[in-house]
Amino acid sequence: MNEIIRKILIIDDEEANVRVLSLTLRCDGYKVVCALSGEEGLEVFRKESPDLVLTDIKMPGMDGIEVLKHIKKVSPDTEVIIITGHGDIDNAIEALKFGASDFINKPIRDKILAVAIQRAGERLSIKRQLAEYTVTLEQKVQQATEELRRQSNFLTRLIRSSNDGIVATDKDLNIVIFNPGAERIFGYTAEEVIRKQKITDLLPDSLKNIMAIPIRRAQSGTEALWQEQTICGKDQQCIPVRLYVTSLTEKEHVMGTVFFFQDLREIKRLEDELVHAERLAAIGQTVAGVAHGIKNILHGFKGGSYLVDLGIAKNDQEKLTKGWDMIQRNIVRTSELVLDLLSYSKERALEFEPCEPNRIVQEICDMMQHLAEQYHVELVTDLDPSMNEIYMDPAVVHQCLSNLVSNAVDACLFDHDTSKHYQVRIRTQRCSDGYIRFEIIDNGTGMSPEVRRKLFTSFFSTKGHRGTGLGLLVTRKLIQEHNGTITVASEQGKGTTFVIRLPYAVSKPE
Amino acid sequence: MGKKILVVDDDPDVRLFSVTVIEENGYIPLEAADGEQGMQIIKKEHPDLVILDVLMPKESGVRLFREIKTDAKLKKLPVIVLSGIAKRSFLRSQKALTEFGGAPVPEPEVYLEKPVEPNELADAIRSQLP
Repeated sequence: MNEIIRKILIIDDEEANVRVLSLTLRCDGYKVVCALSGEEGLEVFRKESPDLVLTDIKMPGMDGIEVLKHIKKVSPDTEVIIITGHGDIDNAIEALKFGASDFINKPIRDKILAVAIQRAGERLSIKRQLAEYTVTLEQKVQQATEELRRQSNFLTRLIRSSNDGIVATDKDLNIVIFNPGAERIFGYTAEEVIRKQKITDLLPDSLKNIMAIPIRRAQSGTEALWQEQTICGKDQQCIPVRLYVTSLTEKEHVMGTVFFFQDLREIKRLEDELVHAERLAAIGQTVAGVAHGIKNILHGFKGGSYLVDLGIAKNDQEKLTKGWDMIQRNIVRTSELVLDLLSYSKERALEFEPCEPNRIVQEICDMMQHLAEQYHVELVTDLDPSMNEIYMDPAVVHQCLSNLVSNAVDACLFDHDTSKHYQVRIRTQRCSDGYIRFEIIDNGTGMSPEVRRKLFTSFFSTKGHRGTGLGLLVTRKLIQEHNGTITVASEQGKGTTFVIRLPYAVSKPE
Repeated sequence: MGKKILVVDDDPDVRLFSVTVIEENGYIPLEAADGEQGMQIIKKEHPDLVILDVLMPKESGVRLFREIKTDAKLKKLPVIVLSGIAKRSFLRSQKALTEFGGAPVPEPEVYLEKPVEPNELADAIRSQLP
């Protein structure tokens, strides 16, 4: 028996035929229901819902063709096999037109009937599978659509809830996505820009060329990097941002670009506050240091005027002279302190000029020679002969070197080991990386770690009345303004080496 | 025989000022330019009073002060500190040194912050030398 077909309806007006046929089919294991007219057949069909209908074509009243039409109308999937008389080929063809599955001729032979039922079963099976596939397919499409909608919602929410500004464009740079983060940064609403403006409308002129970057990068396949930029908001306010651009590609074709903006306003505000607080602390220190320097100088003035007063009262020429000298020395100290303070506090633009660093070193040695001889310190130079005229700020070089050389001489002066042959060596060297290296090496007293730590703080001096405590601070400030570096190495009792590296240019910089 | 007063300061102007005040008030001045030299003179000349700057190169002023005040024989020698740094800062630094393992030292007999008037210094000297 056929697995698909279980119940068969037989319709024939000749009762004998019905009996024989139903007997045969029952023997084959089918459940059989019967009707003796077309009308009865339809009624049984409605009641029993058979899988297959075998109907005689010629019947009084409703004939087989009519039965076929009705059944196909209410149940298109039901298989209907038409039983025809011998040579009734025209009717058989018409029946096929109306959707009959097959036809068999009378007298019905068992073998042909079995084949017809087998084929009907196969057709039904295919139809049912097809129906099942269709239903499954529809379900799957529905599921996929749902998943897609869910994912799309997720992505949309992700973009919406990002604290960073996200702006995406099509390949012509028209804005297509403008999330709330971008609204907060730029001050435009999404409605104001989406499909109405290009990303270039939102960026300052200096960033216009950035547009070429993602496209180029997509072609070369390199990674994009974050960069700090300033953009202009709707109200013309300048907004510092960190910015990342990348292109959106599909199969190597650029579809558009996406921009990520991080608002740096809060960070910048905190940074400014910190700088401000540090500046206040530095001012506090500076004021305390200045007050200390002035107190010492004032003491000198009081001493000087005391001696002058005594000299006048007692008509003592020597006291008068000593007092007046003291006042004059303290005038010099006052002006030194004021000049140091000025050069520390003054913002000075660099002035790159042609100069010969070796010549500056020589000038300083000539200037310091007298003092060095007085303290039995030998000044030695070790100058790089490959260095000719280059572009630097000679004032910076001069002041820094004279500060450090004078310090080096003092370091020898303050040393207690009088057996040493004191020496201050000044070396110059032109480095291949565009820097000039100056070394100031002394074999004087050296520094304790404590002193080295405080070295670049204002008003720290180990020289007693001889120092303002600003020299190294000024030196470092000048070097930093010249984009150079200063480092120090020192060993107590052995000496100290200062190394300055300053960048130079071979032609006048713009 | 007049009383001897040692002035220890690296600044010659400050020494000249103090020395003049000392002479004008009838005492005998002694001079040292740093702490080490100061100690040598103390041992040799036995002054009756020391006027000391505590802010000198190599911290020799502070060292001399602590040497005087922790020496059994010298600790009765009165010291007038005459310095540019505030008394509060100096005492704080001494407290810190003691905490780091130094012997405890008393406060100096007199602490004068620069600048001082000549009669201020003279009064301080007289208060220590009856």
